[in-house]
Amino acid sequence: MARTVKRWLVLLAAVSLLLVNAVPAAASPAPYESYNYNYWKEAVPSPDAYLPKQTISGSDLGIGEFKDPGDVNVSPSGQIYILDSGNSRIVVLDADYKLLRVIEGFMMDGSKESFNTPGGLFVDEEDRVYIADTGNSRVVVLDAEGQLVHTITKPESDILATNFQFQPLKLTVDRVGRVYVVAQGVYEGIMQFDERGQFIGYVGTNKVERDYGEYIWRMLSTKAQRAQMVLFVPTEFSNVDIDSKGFVYATNIDPGSSEPIKRLNPSGEDVLKRFGYFEVKGDIRFRNNPGPSKLIDVKVLGNGMYSVLDATQNRVFTYDDEGHLLYVYGGKGNQVGTLKTPVAMEQSGDHQLVLDRGKSNLVIYEPTRFGASVNEAVALHYQGEDTEAVHIWKEVLKLNANYDIAYIGIGKSLLMEKKNEEALGYFELGMDRKSYSVAFKRYRREMMKEHFGTFLTLAIALIFILILVRVAVKWRRRRQIDREAGLH
Amino acid sequence: MKQDYIKFPLHLIFHPIDAFWDIKSDQRGRLTVAFGALALTIIMMILQKQYAGFLVNYIDPRTINSIGEIATVAVPFFLWCIANWAVTTLMEGEGKFREIFLATGYSLIPIILIYVPMIIISRFMVQEETAFYYLFNSIAFFWFVLLLFIGTMTVHQYTVIKTILTMLLTLIVMGIIVFLGALVFSMLQQLYEFGYNIYRELIFRT
Repeated sequence: MARTVKRWLVLLAAVSLLLVNAVPAAASPAPYESYNYNYWKEAVPSPDAYLPKQTISGSDLGIGEFKDPGDVNVSPSGQIYILDSGNSRIVVLDADYKLLRVIEGFMMDGSKESFNTPGGLFVDEEDRVYIADTGNSRVVVLDAEGQLVHTITKPESDILATNFQFQPLKLTVDRVGRVYVVAQGVYEGIMQFDERGQFIGYVGTNKVERDYGEYIWRMLSTKAQRAQMVLFVPTEFSNVDIDSKGFVYATNIDPGSSEPIKRLNPSGEDVLKRFGYFEVKGDIRFRNNPGPSKLIDVKVLGNGMYSVLDATQNRVFTYDDEGHLLYVYGGKGNQVGTLKTPVAMEQSGDHQLVLDRGKSNLVIYEPTRFGASVNEAVALHYQGEDTEAVHIWKEVLKLNANYDIAYIGIGKSLLMEKKNEEALGYFELGMDRKSYSVAFKRYRREMMKEHFGTFLTLAIALIFILILVRVAVKWRRRRQIDREAGLH
Repeated sequence: MKQDYIKFPLHLIFHPIDAFWDIKSDQRGRLTVAFGALALTIIMMILQKQYAGFLVNYIDPRTINSIGEIATVAVPFFLWCIANWAVTTLMEGEGKFREIFLATGYSLIPIILIYVPMIIISRFMVQEETAFYYLFNSIAFFWFVLLLFIGTMTVHQYTVIKTILTMLLTLIVMGIIVFLGALVFSMLQQLYEFGYNIYRELIFRT
């Protein structure tokens, strides 16, 4: 008897376990939480924009595990170059993630040369590969066949210190072959070399941000104390990328900076648009995070969009050209799709790739319906096709009714069509006061034009009636006085 | 009726020196008006948060709390009256508590008068015009401070310097009152906790 009861209890427990597990498993297909910030700087849950599709490791490709991979780059023709720093080789994949070839080294002056802990690479439109060969203090340029074109070594210049160590970490190349190099220990900015490898100068500098508390403290301390303090030096850049117009996007990891992402024009000024609700700096509010985002890579996606990789919470943040945060994905962890030590990110077709040094693999993310719709709508808006973007924004709102940018997008399109009154409601939902003001101004003028006639007629009629009433009252009063005086 | 409740307050905000003197010498002030002004100010603050136009209203609608609004206006108001009374008693002020209360209450009138049209007009403003909204709100505030200043000066028969000094001291005393209040409150709480613990102990033992 007791045995049967026990058996039933076990069965019941098993069934209940099954039921309990069934519910959360269906809740989200992603191993991370997706969110976006609303106007009030709250992280609001959002549908996932990208989902992990697969991971690729060295053993998947049959060439032995990656060792401390450092960078990944997708060439304009669609080939994926993975810089396997620990193994000093470059692994080239095609757009379907199949192995094409492995570059182990190159021939220079008749002898075989190899890389020494290279940090970054870039592939230009003619499939020339630029490798920041950190350990050998040089930048190596190889052509599409893997033959050496030239190397960029320690520059000779008056503005450089004599004991200057040239250790290139990351680089990018513009259309005419100028090379932008982020080098270790260089605070002056990004080093710029011409197409022959001659040093031109620096572009862009991170400003020193003054900490006033520290400043006062410094004023009060003695010389000996001051000598032991940390210097106020600008931070180094962490990574660079270049857009189709030749603007260099650069990130730095300064934790106090409100401008960790810069878009540098040819004269080195920061021209990034920051018209969103809040600063373009990854996480703006830290729930259980240790602190601000540490941005270590930036990738220009086209149509004004760019993604940055945050090494604090291992997330990818994507912005549009005006500085609105579009979506956030990724997170810390050991599952497929979460990241251990991400180092670089890239885009291949509509997939996004993140290179994870901690797990020695490349994670491939695929856009969801939500992510793809957002990308499409942002692209249409960027190209000025606002009316077409509206349908997609409406689709986005069906998937995420908290998506403020969609409301603003629809509002702007309505504004173009001169539907000012409808636009007002959308701008209010999107909390876009500037556009609201524009729409309201037009709406107000419209209303005035339409109703000015009625208003004036009414006003004149009212004045006329008032005068009449006054005259009547006066007349009656006089009559009364006359009557009292016995004149009638 | 009309004389006391409408005409005199309006006369006061434009001729404060005369009118405050009338309050003091002729007993012309009404406590109802002072309380009414306080109540209306609170209502204006609430209405402004709720109904000011979208372009000037930066309040998160989820955080609007009328009880909190009452506390943020009424508590400083009464604290001011009490602190001012305490300070001026020591500093040879001639004002009674009632007069201080009346002067403070009547000073709030410009805020009410300016806020009503501004709330309505702000709903029809565009971005460039919002400067006027902020301008008039500041005017309301400075008018209030000016009236409070003249009121204090007249009620206590002080010189200008002494009035300024008294007002600053009043602010400090307000702080002290808040501090002492918090101290007493926390002590009372600890006393209560102590008593409650003993009670629980006794209950467990029996």
